[in-house]
Amino acid sequence: MSDLDQLYREVILDHYKNPRGHGVLEDADATAEGQNPLCGDEVTISVRFGPDGETIDEVGFEGRGCAISQAATSMLTEMVKGRKASEVAVLPKDELLQEIGIPLTPIRLKCAILGLGVLKVALHRAKGTPLPEEWQGLANELELS
Amino acid sequence: MDPFLTGGHMIRKVRADETTWGELPHKFEAGTAPMAEAVGLGAAIDYLEAVGIESIEQHEHELVAYALDKLADIPGVTTWGPPADKRAGIVSFDVAGVHPHDVAQILDLDGIAIRAGHHCCQPLMTRLGVAATNRASFYLYTVPEEIDRLTAGILRVKETFGV
Repeated sequence: MSDLDQLYREVILDHYKNPRGHGVLEDADATAEGQNPLCGDEVTISVRFGPDGETIDEVGFEGRGCAISQAATSMLTEMVKGRKASEVAVLPKDELLQEIGIPLTPIRLKCAILGLGVLKVALHRAKGTPLPEEWQGLANELELS
Repeated sequence: MDPFLTGGHMIRKVRADETTWGELPHKFEAGTAPMAEAVGLGAAIDYLEAVGIESIEQHEHELVAYALDKLADIPGVTTWGPPADKRAGIVSFDVAGVHPHDVAQILDLDGIAIRAGHHCCQPLMTRLGVAATNRASFYLYTVPEEIDRLTAGILRVKETFGV
């Protein structure tokens, strides 16, 4: 595969053009938004829990930005649906990066994990738990709130 | 104001109980002067004068006019800024439906280096209604064939993104 094919894999472009879980949910149990001021990427995520108040039943997002940031957030919504909030709140970023499956420079890495950072802020806020320390620096840098 | 760096060539008198500093600018220029840089600057000025500042300006105007013409032929490409004869060798543009960082990355894979981002002027980006722009710049060593490569690269961006 050429570099171009590798970086803009068909699956990345597909998620970018046809984002899954697109749209902000009404009656959401958890929401958060974030932006990457360097790129102007923006993502808002909302989550609805199942009757157990723990399982992620629905997850929706809206945003604008580069293909990597929007495709990664779209892929993330598919990854976390049906999983426990407490589990996703501590989801290692490598799990998402593996799913994205392309080599990323440090700057594009921030694009790729913007959505995950926003989701973590939403879940920790809804559950009243503190954002893990390794995410706090990034949360400031990416203006997650 | 006292100097915050100390070194050679910046004192007047040093005593055990008191030190006085040299005259400005010497007291703020401690240590060996950057001689290689000064000689290099002189050589660069000689080179530019040999080429001729007016010739460089003319070359930049021609490249910008060529680039604006070529970019205007690509559907979905917007350019900003004054007409070619009123600008230096620089063109800011947008490719509809593709974020500038994606444009820059794909061009980079073709060996074409442009700048993408808000260019240290976020209020202007807000005014233009864009998150960021692409910016290509040209100088005396840029040739028209490189602008052809830029436009071919933009077509490749559009093909990749299906826009």
